[in-house]
Amino acid sequence: MTDNTGTDNTGNASTGNESRFHPAAGTVTDAAASASPTGSPQSWLAGRSELVVAALTLGIAVFLTIGIVTMDIPDGAGAPGPTFFPTIVAALLYVLAVLLAVQVVRAPRPIDGDSNSSRVGVSSDLLNDVGDIDTTSEIRVIRSTVHPKTTAKIGLTDWKTTGIVLACVIVFVLILQPVGWLLSAAALFWALARALGSRRPVFDIGVSLIFSSCMQLAFSAGLGLTLPSGILTGVFSWIS
Amino acid sequence: MDQLGNLLEGFSVALTPMNLVFLVIGAVLGTAVGVLPGLGSAMAVALLLPVTFSLDPTGAFIMFASIYFGGLFGDSTSGILLNTPGNSSAIATSFEGHRMAKDGRAAKALGTAAIGAFMGGMIATTLVVFFSPYLVRLATLFGPAEYFALAAFAFVAISAVVAESVVRGLIALGIGLALAMVGIDGQSGAARFTLGMPEFFDGISIIVVTVGLLAMGEVLHVASRIHREGSATRVTTQGSPYLNWREFKQALPAFLRGTSFGLPFGAIPVGGSEVPTFLAYGTEKKLAKRRGDTMFGGRGAIQGVAGPEAAGNATAGTAMGALLALGLPTSATAAMMLAAFQQYGMQPGPLLFERSADLVWPLLASLFVGLVILLIINLPFASVWAKLLLVPKHYLYAGVAVFSVFGVYAIASSMKDLWLLVAIGVLGFVMRRFAIPLAPVLIAAILGPLAETELRRALAVSEGDVGILVASPISVTLYAIMAIAILISIVQHLRHRRAAAL
Repeated sequence: MTDNTGTDNTGNASTGNESRFHPAAGTVTDAAASASPTGSPQSWLAGRSELVVAALTLGIAVFLTIGIVTMDIPDGAGAPGPTFFPTIVAALLYVLAVLLAVQVVRAPRPIDGDSNSSRVGVSSDLLNDVGDIDTTSEIRVIRSTVHPKTTAKIGLTDWKTTGIVLACVIVFVLILQPVGWLLSAAALFWALARALGSRRPVFDIGVSLIFSSCMQLAFSAGLGLTLPSGILTGVFSWIS
Repeated sequence: MDQLGNLLEGFSVALTPMNLVFLVIGAVLGTAVGVLPGLGSAMAVALLLPVTFSLDPTGAFIMFASIYFGGLFGDSTSGILLNTPGNSSAIATSFEGHRMAKDGRAAKALGTAAIGAFMGGMIATTLVVFFSPYLVRLATLFGPAEYFALAAFAFVAISAVVAESVVRGLIALGIGLALAMVGIDGQSGAARFTLGMPEFFDGISIIVVTVGLLAMGEVLHVASRIHREGSATRVTTQGSPYLNWREFKQALPAFLRGTSFGLPFGAIPVGGSEVPTFLAYGTEKKLAKRRGDTMFGGRGAIQGVAGPEAAGNATAGTAMGALLALGLPTSATAAMMLAAFQQYGMQPGPLLFERSADLVWPLLASLFVGLVILLIINLPFASVWAKLLLVPKHYLYAGVAVFSVFGVYAIASSMKDLWLLVAIGVLGFVMRRFAIPLAPVLIAAILGPLAETELRRALAVSEGDVGILVASPISVTLYAIMAIAILISIVQHLRHRRAAAL
């Protein structure tokens, strides 16, 4: 967060930016390539994977435009009609997508490998000024520690773990109704704990079953929410 | 002095046994989610919203109010002990707090934080109670043009002035506005961006957006990091959390200074309590330098914890006032409270005090009671709460994920909401990865419909004349403040860029 001073708005790469640039360029391209599989030369994409966001912004703008053009406007809609505000937002998004793309192309920036950095959505310039902060020593104090084995990879996204976690959630959504809350939530908890580094799979089975049945008991039996019972329908009286 | 009578009546409702139970549950839950990293009070309210549907509104709001403050009591714990603040509101506290902890005064730092949070919240809530009639009177002067100016002010403040990068802040804002536009347009009845699917006619629930961005996005983000980071070293708590007279005399001015920074910021939508907490920290730092205090920045000074912590909770207090009287959410948690009001069919704003006085005054009274309960469960037991930090990360985030899918499914038992949760979770992850701020998305998704409705209403009245937007002194003042803020922000960015280039 605080390290990006000077890279924004104009897109001019300041010296501060370059000195902080990720030293292992080869490893950056891994993430960049997998983030935007466009087939462009890898070295150029280093630090420019944020073009994905520009593309996403453009995509939303196009989606809005199509929606605006094809919208059925009921008769008698007032003077600034239902397309008025969406048009402004879509125009704004087109401009922003271009601006971001220009910024990213002109000044590639490294991915900050710090999980604490994204917590503050607040300008570091502003915080430095109001808090009288010395960026070099104080903000760094609260950075996460780095695992010694993976220092070289700290800036990179662990796509494998992220992918597994995402897949687990998607599988959960798919099986929730046929299998029922109790088992699918337990499975989700177990799989995520395992993916995130738990080393006691058997013990975890117990933990996850207790966790999901406690929720079922408290909210379904206690507060009267309906959770899908799935294949366990009628097995226990408290699963409705 | 109507307020006193109303407040006393409010106390009589808030102190009934059932509502006290709700208060205690809320306080415990709020402190717990505050202490645990990866959750916050906004998340706690979002996840409990569907669950509390079967409760009566007064009980539910009393519980939400104590969760709201509880989150701020708990969030400094992990910052002080682990040096990894669980919320951005706790970063300023962590600087000196962790130094105190390393110096063997962890319990004292936690105690100071609890007292600071209590005092900031108490003073702010008192002010809200006595100024609410004036706020309400001010709010009645607001017409469509003024409300639009207010929303525009919030959008610009959060995305352009406060955010690290203007373009990225505005992109977040645009995404939030786009999410808010899905569904049937209330004024004309046109179906917008629904892809013809009736499931989307009601729009995208703000709960899904919040849980997706904050919880699911956070789980994916943690997954992308967890095998790459070492564990933080935890400092054990020892000593007494209570301040002795000398320490209290040191801390008291800092408490009051922090509170005075926090109060105005609660009413301005600049993303919650980051700015005032940093302001309080900076002030204490400068004062310590002037005093020649060597503790500050070295072994850790009590003032450095007291100021920011009081500022954080004072912000939360006045934010509640702004929400109730103006209907303006100034932080993510306040936005969730607004969603809660809307779920119960109430619209915060001037009319709320007239139409739902039987809810508002017990709610305000319960803020006082809640703060006392929070002080009781936090000051002596701070080190007990710190035990929550022993929950292994893999269980914690697995639990967060299960709670998110549960909370979202519980809204309407709809599979569409679950798929949306996954999609918005991925969006949240991508945004985190590229350091695009999340707060503008939430503020835009909450205030977007208001901004659009009021803008169209204003333009319909003036028959398309844009001049109506700047026709009243209130809106001109708001736009003027906005322009000044933008100007200051530009100067700031330029100055820092020049400093960085040297």
